[in-house]
Amino acid sequence: MANAETIQLDSIISSRRAMLAVGGAALAGLAFAPKAQAATINDNDILNFALNLEYLEAQFYSLAVNGVTIDLGPQKIPTAPNAGTLGAAGMITYKSPFAAVPFADAAIKAYAAETATEEGKHVLYLQKALGSLAVSMPAINLVDSFNTLANAATIGPAFDPFASDANFLIGAYIFEDTGVSAYHGAAPLISDKKNILPSAIGIHAVEAYHAGLVRFSINRLDIANGTSPTLIGYTQKISNLRYTVANPSGAPYSTTDDIGIMNTMVALNGTSATYNATTFADAPTGMTRTTAKPGYSIAAGRTTTQILAIVTAGGTPNGSGVTTGGFFPNGLNGTIK
Amino acid sequence: MEPIKTLQSPHSRRRFLAGAGALGAVGAATMLTGCNDSSSSPAPTPTPTPTPTPTPAPAITDNDILNFALNLEYLEAEFYLRAATGNGLPASLVPTGSGSVTGGVKVAGGSTEFQGYLNAIAQDELNHVAAIQATIAGNSGTPVPRPNIDFTNAFNALAMLATIGPSFDPFSSSQAFLVGAFVFEDVGVTAYNGAAPAISNNAILDAAAGIAAIEAYHAATIRTIIAGQALATKDSTYLNYANLIVALRSKVGAGMETMLSLNSIVAADSTNAIGFARTTSEVLSIVYGGGTKSGAFFPNGLNGNITTVS
Repeated sequence: MANAETIQLDSIISSRRAMLAVGGAALAGLAFAPKAQAATINDNDILNFALNLEYLEAQFYSLAVNGVTIDLGPQKIPTAPNAGTLGAAGMITYKSPFAAVPFADAAIKAYAAETATEEGKHVLYLQKALGSLAVSMPAINLVDSFNTLANAATIGPAFDPFASDANFLIGAYIFEDTGVSAYHGAAPLISDKKNILPSAIGIHAVEAYHAGLVRFSINRLDIANGTSPTLIGYTQKISNLRYTVANPSGAPYSTTDDIGIMNTMVALNGTSATYNATTFADAPTGMTRTTAKPGYSIAAGRTTTQILAIVTAGGTPNGSGVTTGGFFPNGLNGTIK
Repeated sequence: MEPIKTLQSPHSRRRFLAGAGALGAVGAATMLTGCNDSSSSPAPTPTPTPTPTPTPAPAITDNDILNFALNLEYLEAEFYLRAATGNGLPASLVPTGSGSVTGGVKVAGGSTEFQGYLNAIAQDELNHVAAIQATIAGNSGTPVPRPNIDFTNAFNALAMLATIGPSFDPFSSSQAFLVGAFVFEDVGVTAYNGAAPAISNNAILDAAAGIAAIEAYHAATIRTIIAGQALATKDSTYLNYANLIVALRSKVGAGMETMLSLNSIVAADSTNAIGFARTTSEVLSIVYGGGTKSGAFFPNGLNGNITTVS
């Protein structure tokens, strides 16, 4: 059985390669993508894909903590390192007037500040690594995106992630697990396993630290505020939405690849006894693993197509093969978009 | 663009292999020989024998790496399961020929939330044992049996080395347990980070990355709770213990550590916020408590082909 699983995983990965190869127009029909064109996506394309996501995360945290965008924050991060050749930075949209999150909880404020710095370092690292190939920040929308997602997730008609500690954590929740699954999905696609893969794996770990931190903090705040299970209920709605948009028609994962924070029962030691467990890691704990379904407490990696679907709030490729919407109203910059 | 060398991190495949005892040879094929120094010496031995062909070092395979990870997952699973339930791994996950486990009892007195986290991690680690065993079997390999594991003497020895005190029982309270968990989690992350680039099969790499992520989720949770409790209780006793562990791991495990505080939860390189990666040697040095072939949690060493600090 496990051998079959391995074979299945192999086929998934090779189909990812093929899917990446043929660009946005063919992404919807990944099963039919010709493998022969697999050479068109290279490691730099993957790094630029990651850079787009890091721009998004860094801007979110910078605004939350510093009240200003990354170029104006303490790290002075350029948003168009190669403006002359690769174009100016896109516009970033956030509410006006804007103010940093009015943090009330010292631990959450500290978390936000640390994460802002670390996501900024990821941007700087990728820009340096890509050098003259580093893309500019695409247009980013931090208003309509959250409203659309909140609406789609049935959290409410509008959502301001900068309004409070709790809202900030929910906003962060949207990004962090997604970042983990993005780096995870990209890892097997990286051809340079000596120089590039270790860095990608290392950033992947940090995103998972962030994700664990935010998930724990949401549960703690929910309990401390006496609002439980309101906030953890939001996380389940967001996870459901992420799963839905990333797996249209139920593929490639036929059951959820994304779980929110919840109190659930587990059967440790294989006995009939059950134990209350809090799911603060984004991985199904079910012991049955079939075909492409994640299980075994192994986090799910996502294809670039799946990530694009999430960050564009369910967007699909337009006539030019660019997926737009959500956080990226004009799509991503680079080859994978 | 800049040369791709700019992406060279100290945590490369080459480093993984070198740290585990690379033989100094060049070429892709010989790179795979580096991790196993348990069966042949890397030192060239002058010999009058007329045979010109040197004995080839055994190649490190994906299954060797998976079995290395399996040893560590046995350790974590036994630790959390015993703390959560009082019992260790179910018999179905303990292969014939497995060693014994010394110490480890149910942790009493924790809050409902603590128990919820503990149970979740216990389930995850149990699943990881099952996952890795299945992956090895599915890759035409044989999962190694559980080695002898000793919690009692290991934590006492580490407490001495870390200058926490003459003894330490992580099963005595929820706070103490968190410090015990802290010993393992970051190490697990660095171990997977170090091993992943050396995996040749992409499907196995995919699974390893997925497990690594879960270890990092765990690590963040443990770190966040410890730092948060210090703030909430205005008592830094256990936070200080954790940082004494950081210092010890740094000493025996080649650095790769970040001091824990409310402002510094994530363990990562401060220059680029990239997570640390350790060689198998560096990981072994930590779980052996500074020993080279055995010690601390593994009084008789690991099982498999990656067992010795080079």
